Amino acid sequence: MKEFIEKIENSIKEIDSIHTSNLRNIFQDALKEIKNHHKIDNYIGDFPTFIEPVYLGDSVKIGDDVLLGPNVYIGNNCELGDYVELSNTIILDNVKLGNNFTLENCLVKTDSSLNFDILKEKNCLLIGQAESKENLKKISF
Amino acid sequence: MSDKEEREIGRIQELESTNLAREEIRDLVIETKKKVERDNDILAERINKEFVKNNIKSFDIVGSIGAGKTALLEKICEQISSKHRTLVICGDITTRVDADRIEKHNVETVQINTGRECALNAYHINQIIKNKDLFNYDVIFVENVGNLICPSEFILGTDKRITVVSITEGEWVIEKHPMLFKMSDIAIINKIDLLERLGTDIDKMISNAKNYNPKIEVITTSAKTGENINKLIEIMGL
Repeated sequence: MKEFIEKIENSIKEIDSIHTSNLRNIFQDALKEIKNHHKIDNYIGDFPTFIEPVYLGDSVKIGDDVLLGPNVYIGNNCELGDYVELSNTIILDNVKLGNNFTLENCLVKTDSSLNFDILKEKNCLLIGQAESKENLKKISF
Repeated sequence: MSDKEEREIGRIQELESTNLAREEIRDLVIETKKKVERDNDILAERINKEFVKNNIKSFDIVGSIGAGKTALLEKICEQISSKHRTLVICGDITTRVDADRIEKHNVETVQINTGRECALNAYHINQIIKNKDLFNYDVIFVENVGNLICPSEFILGTDKRITVVSITEGEWVIEKHPMLFKMSDIAIINKIDLLERLGTDIDKMISNAKNYNPKIEVITTSAKTGENINKLIEIMGL
């Protein structure tokens, strides 16, 4: 799984020069790989619903009434708010998501902090230290 | 609606009782509950159309923890996996124990861990099938979360619902759970290999099931010895 995640990280290092079609292919390959790494045994939180495959990194905090899967990867030290629903989505390391997020086919860049409530997105890369939806950088792919 | 109210409504829905709602939010709770049930039914209908379009036979298997749902599925899959491409969706609060057992019989499995929810719903099933090419399957089983109460609230879009009870649960188990038997197509009374020792009144169980639902097919089985498994597969049309 690590090499798939590294490929994604490299492809989004320079935000201004992201090749979206290339990113889409790398992202899809990584999603397919999650099924070989299903791991949900180590998280802090209140019994979310998991539809396999789901990969949880170390020290992941999960809020109340959360649904994860299928095909979800969450990196190390991430924090998900209450009522979060993720499917076909990759969250890289050190990401914080607010309450009531619904993400499908999304990628959230390392160290992003989405400190607000209610977001519904599909097929995009999300980046930023955002206190509101308006401050969030979004690149469709 | 404030965040606090939203949470409160969420909790009440989980408990499935409007009696707990404060007077000020009672109407809202009832309306929301109705909408959730309606949305589940609409989604289940859509799922069933997809199954029918792809010529898939589908079954929702319901029963208490320890009734023998997984053991029966193991026996069924063992018999049919060479002729039917089979997907088994397993619902449990936690663990992958059932999926691991069933997977040994050459079928594909997907485990759903519901955490705190006591039944699968159509949304869970939809999340799985929208990520699958249904053309690759002939049969889909859903093994629901183990209990005889919550699953009656949510249809999943399968062709048939099968309720499994075992004689170790006592001869009143069907009489005490009318809703599920009214909504089921097949009732399985399992663990009949223990009949001599337990002396359970199976005729009473059959008659209770038929009273609640005259159209229900009732079959006695033993997943342990394999008794009547072939007959069950025949009734299921596989």
